[in-house]
Amino acid sequence: MTALEISGLRKTYTDDYSGEEVTAIDEVSFGVEKGEFVSVLGPSGCGKTTVLNIVAGFVDLSGGTVVVDGRPVAGPGPDRGVVFQSHALFPWKTAYGNVVFGLRMRGVPRTERDERAREYLDLVGLGGFEHRYPHELSGGMQQRLGVARVLANEPAVMLMDEPFASIDAQTRRKLQEDLTRIFESRRPTVFFVTHDVDEAVFLSDRVVVLSGRPSRVRDIVEVPLSRPRRWDEALALPAFRATANRVNELLAGDEDDAGHLDAVS
Amino acid sequence: MTAQSVKPGARRVGPALWFVGPLAVLVAVWAVAVAAAGTPMRVFPQVGDVAAAIGDMASSGDLFRHLGASLRRMGLGIVLALVTALPFGIALGSSRLLSAFFAPLLRFSVALAGIAWIPVATLWFGYGDRAVIFIVWNAMFFALTYNAMLGVRQIPLQLLRAARSMGTSRTRMFTEVLLPGALPSIVTGLRVGLGYGWRGLVAAEIIASDAGLGYALFQAQKYFRTDVIIASMVIIGVLWLLMDRLLLAPLERRTVQRWGMTGVGR
Repeated sequence: MTALEISGLRKTYTDDYSGEEVTAIDEVSFGVEKGEFVSVLGPSGCGKTTVLNIVAGFVDLSGGTVVVDGRPVAGPGPDRGVVFQSHALFPWKTAYGNVVFGLRMRGVPRTERDERAREYLDLVGLGGFEHRYPHELSGGMQQRLGVARVLANEPAVMLMDEPFASIDAQTRRKLQEDLTRIFESRRPTVFFVTHDVDEAVFLSDRVVVLSGRPSRVRDIVEVPLSRPRRWDEALALPAFRATANRVNELLAGDEDDAGHLDAVS
Repeated sequence: MTAQSVKPGARRVGPALWFVGPLAVLVAVWAVAVAAAGTPMRVFPQVGDVAAAIGDMASSGDLFRHLGASLRRMGLGIVLALVTALPFGIALGSSRLLSAFFAPLLRFSVALAGIAWIPVATLWFGYGDRAVIFIVWNAMFFALTYNAMLGVRQIPLQLLRAARSMGTSRTRMFTEVLLPGALPSIVTGLRVGLGYGWRGLVAAEIIASDAGLGYALFQAQKYFRTDVIIASMVIIGVLWLLMDRLLLAPLERRTVQRWGMTGVGR
């Protein structure tokens, strides 16, 4: 069953400075199956975050359709939870307060909220930290809390916008393994935006590679790795390297195009 | 963590000393200067004279009558300012168009707030409580509105998006996100506004009232009671310090400091 279907997505806007019509996203189509982990990868500035913002309902689309659980997207909604790069936790709420936020907004009774808060804080390894405020947590814990805050709402799709980009390298590896473990145990549907090839391959079932501006889907690469996955094992597998190389080639082909465009303009 | 649990009492002595110490030095300098210069009481009274004046005011009951009148007006003015300025400021902050339109008007009004309105206030409300409360409200309103508006505009976009993507309704957005998110700036506005309000209160009581600390100050001048004038000034200053320490400081400690929102931006 398809959880998220993007067809013929287009995004154009008028440049404030030149007044010209700019096409950011030209023609992007792909689907994410229920319980699937799909990464969207592309050169910086290619509009991958814009695709995520459109799916989240933060940004309007100019053409095409985005359908989540059979319903066309119109504005933000609790069926699409977002994990932000800047964690975007509420500083005035404790870890517990952040996790139950969405449940409170939707009027879920207190006993059920408490139960789910405990469940998801435990899931992300934050059991015992429920009374801490976000600023009292490490960067890695903050991102895990961001994941718990989304999963507690049990959304149709979890959207993740480069969530580990501002985390130091060692912690990032650990967080990627944590996320894989959570994904393997709960099987949420995940739409993950990143510019890190290894990260995309390690985490995903499929990797959507976008071209530079205006974005199109260059190719969709299946990741032939079994689960559960761990970094030390994955790095030793020829299939991991081969997939990462394939993705890198697709991206490199794109850099030639970008260079060509730069030369023209 | 450990430092806090070892000596909870010892940590409070330092700040308290630094609060009282400089004031004690000021009083000492005052005592020595007046004694050395031999200044007559009419020009500037000695510390003991002022203390005696406060004692007299306390025993005659005047002190508590004036204090009660001032604090009641101040309290009502603060409550009115909070319930009007916060919703207005937050509403302005959530609309780019409204805040662009109102920002210069508010900056203009902050400069005029309070004391400059006393003539109008007495025309509208006559002499008495209502004119004074109006001045306190007016003195606080613009600074509080302006800072609430700025506070909302400083909330990171991602926080607003996170809230919206979790199904937050417009009304709950106000209480759950905009108000706490703007609080660091609102506390600044409250500190500035309370200062304006307190000064506005004293000035309005001088002109438009028959009770209150400002009135006591003004009456004493009529009878050349410099000791009572200085006594009233001391009481007004000390009350302000207490207000800051007993109202604002705990509010800041329990909210923005507890939440780690004291740094720039967050």
